[in-house]
Amino acid sequence: MSRGRGEEDDDIEDEEYEDEDQFLDDEDYDKDEDVGRGRGTSSKKRRRSVFIDDVAEEDDEDDEEDDDELYGGCGKKNSKAPRVASQFFDLEAQVDSDEEEEEDEGEDDFIVETGADLPEEDAGRRMHRHSLLVREDEQEDIEALERSIHARYARSSHTEYDEETTDVEQQALLPSVRDPKLWMVKCASGRERETAACLMQKYIDKGSELQIRSVIALDHLKNYIYVEADKEAHVREAVKGLCTLFAAKIMLVPIREMTDVLSAESKAVHLSRDTWVRMKVGTYKGDLAQVVDVDNVRQRVTVKLIPRIDLQALANKLEGREVAKKKAFVPPPRFMNVDEARALHIRVERKRNSITGDYFENIGGMLFKDGFLYKTVSMKSISAQDIKTTFDELEKFRSPSNNGEGEIVGLSTLFANRKKTHFMKGDAVIVVKGDLKNLKGWVEKVEEENVHIRPEMKGLPKTLAVNDKELCKSFEPGNHVKVVSGTKEGATGMVVKVEQHVLIILSETTKEHIRVFADDVVESSEVATGVTKIGDYELHDLVLLDNNSFGVIIRVESEAFQVLQGVPERPEASLVKLREIKCKLHKKFNLQDRYRNPVSLKDVVRILEGPCKGKQGPVEHIYKGVVFVYDRHHLENAGFICVKADSCCIVGGSRSNGNRNGDSFSRFSSFKTPPRVPPSPRRFARGDPPFDSGGRHGGGRGGHDALIGTTVKIR
Amino acid sequence: MGTAPAQIPTSFGHELRACLRCRLVKTYDQFRESGCENCPFFKMDDGDNERVVDCTTPNFNGMISVMDPARNWAARWLRVGRFVPGCYTLAVSEALPEDLQALCEEVHVQYVAPKRV
Repeated sequence: MSRGRGEEDDDIEDEEYEDEDQFLDDEDYDKDEDVGRGRGTSSKKRRRSVFIDDVAEEDDEDDEEDDDELYGGCGKKNSKAPRVASQFFDLEAQVDSDEEEEEDEGEDDFIVETGADLPEEDAGRRMHRHSLLVREDEQEDIEALERSIHARYARSSHTEYDEETTDVEQQALLPSVRDPKLWMVKCASGRERETAACLMQKYIDKGSELQIRSVIALDHLKNYIYVEADKEAHVREAVKGLCTLFAAKIMLVPIREMTDVLSAESKAVHLSRDTWVRMKVGTYKGDLAQVVDVDNVRQRVTVKLIPRIDLQALANKLEGREVAKKKAFVPPPRFMNVDEARALHIRVERKRNSITGDYFENIGGMLFKDGFLYKTVSMKSISAQDIKTTFDELEKFRSPSNNGEGEIVGLSTLFANRKKTHFMKGDAVIVVKGDLKNLKGWVEKVEEENVHIRPEMKGLPKTLAVNDKELCKSFEPGNHVKVVSGTKEGATGMVVKVEQHVLIILSETTKEHIRVFADDVVESSEVATGVTKIGDYELHDLVLLDNNSFGVIIRVESEAFQVLQGVPERPEASLVKLREIKCKLHKKFNLQDRYRNPVSLKDVVRILEGPCKGKQGPVEHIYKGVVFVYDRHHLENAGFICVKADSCCIVGGSRSNGNRNGDSFSRFSSFKTPPRVPPSPRRFARGDPPFDSGGRHGGGRGGHDALIGTTVKIR
Repeated sequence: MGTAPAQIPTSFGHELRACLRCRLVKTYDQFRESGCENCPFFKMDDGDNERVVDCTTPNFNGMISVMDPARNWAARWLRVGRFVPGCYTLAVSEALPEDLQALCEEVHVQYVAPKRV
């Protein structure tokens, strides 16, 4: 039974209760008959059971209350047995308001009554029930009840709702089944607002013939509008005759999605001077720009860009010469040089902008100053949200004449519009904007918008709440940090210099200086090993390249490798991409060094000629007559040296020997271990437990050792 | 329809503005001419003052035509159920300036600042 909206409460209640009563009547009638004609208190028990059976679930709490009334009622009821019909009607009205509150009680009474007083017919039963409830002392109660009911239902009545806007109230306004439904209608693209207004006009003209309630046109949803109406037929009727709407496509919106339709959040992006934005359209699409002036009335902004001007084409155009209609390429960004323009006979006008008082050069209708192009565009063609700039872009923006000041200003506005950086408890921070600028402190607590810091200075309160846009992480030279976002993510190192927002860090992996924003860095003791592997190729692998050259990977960067070419004469490290690498090289070659000693992997060699003369180290790779030697002390190319096999000579035993005394025994030294040598490191390296020299050390190693000192018989 | 409806915007270009309090949408000229039907105390149509620019904004999001605010779920949800029928916007991007908020309080009129992301 749906409640009508905005009608008198009483009427509706009356109707409802009447229905209910009838319903109950029928139901209870049977039961009561079954129960029998118990009268008076003896039948109470049965009544109770009857009551419980019939009215069941909700009423248990009410039972106790009911009982009292019941008994009272029962007592009184008898005295008022016969009633006139008119009274019957009056009572009904009053009873209904009672009914509502004590619905259950009403039911109970009804049941009890019939149980106690059965010879009556339906009408009689009703009368009794009503009479039961209409007692003198109940009159006042009824009034009170009525009032409470009104109050209760006024709250949910749709015409009167509070203007208080709390979250709870919003919940209460959720659409219910009784509300009109939302229908989605296909519309001509770009005409959504116009259509909404047209329907409005139609409604005004036609009055209440048009049964739709509202029309919603969302900005971000093109091609569709929403119509609120009770029935689809109403929507069709309303849409008839409008050329922008297609009645063929009318779709119902499910109730739970209705609120999503209307919850458009207003994203107010503050476009102010010096904000960094990106262009969305035109030749400068995707370029970083800085806002110079905002005109809210006309929805336009003036931005500063690095010009992409093809001077030649411009000259041609101005002189009326033929110019290719569409440029096949976009000219690279380059500062405008006025002299160059003049050289090409382009008219350069020097104009003074009355508002700012600055001088602009007007070339071909475009305004230039300090090499930058100043362009006025509509707000729609720029995007100002979450602009992430890279260092390079900002560097480029530093105009030739600008000093450091300008840059820092630019950066701070950049931070203003960045996504919130995450401050953690214990971070050292510094205030960069506002009255407390340059105040250092530590983060105590982080909230949505504010960060509580404990300032360093005495005389200030224990904690200060600062807007997180005004804070920036601060670091001291010597801190060990890790980069957690941005292009250099993953690098760790030590801070060597701090320049407001920018830190210079000495990276551990690459041993060079990197510049990062303070936002992207956290203090950490983690030491990154750096990326050592991309795809199948690891650091220090020997690989074959596309062009049949080969080399050793000496450094792994984010997208490519640094490979030391296998050319002995010229040590050359080149940057190679993953796809240029054909495969790894595993082949075992055996070469000979200068003195005809066989050279293999892990042998220590010394270089006898060439630029790296005198260096020595183990052989890491051998390929086609060339050896790659790794020398820790060699500073270039990560210690790898590429030499021809015959420019070096073996030094000492093989690496696995661990014995670097440099004795000239070659590979066999590994087999030849004077048994008298006390447990040598080699033994440990082999993983054997130390044995006495005379013992079984010769074990399986050729039997050579085992024989020494033993008595043999020559056959 | 009991109450007289508000004017419907005559064009849909950049002149469209939304009243910051009641979010009614009309063109600049219409505001200038007849003020805001829901907020007469702003006196936008009055003589010289530039109230229109202060009280309205062109930065708004989405549009809803309310035919019958009383019997309308969407209007209730957006809290325009008490205003005259007309075209409203779902959200405005700016808050009413301080002095005009004070004016609202003086005339005992409810003002809710828009929720910011």
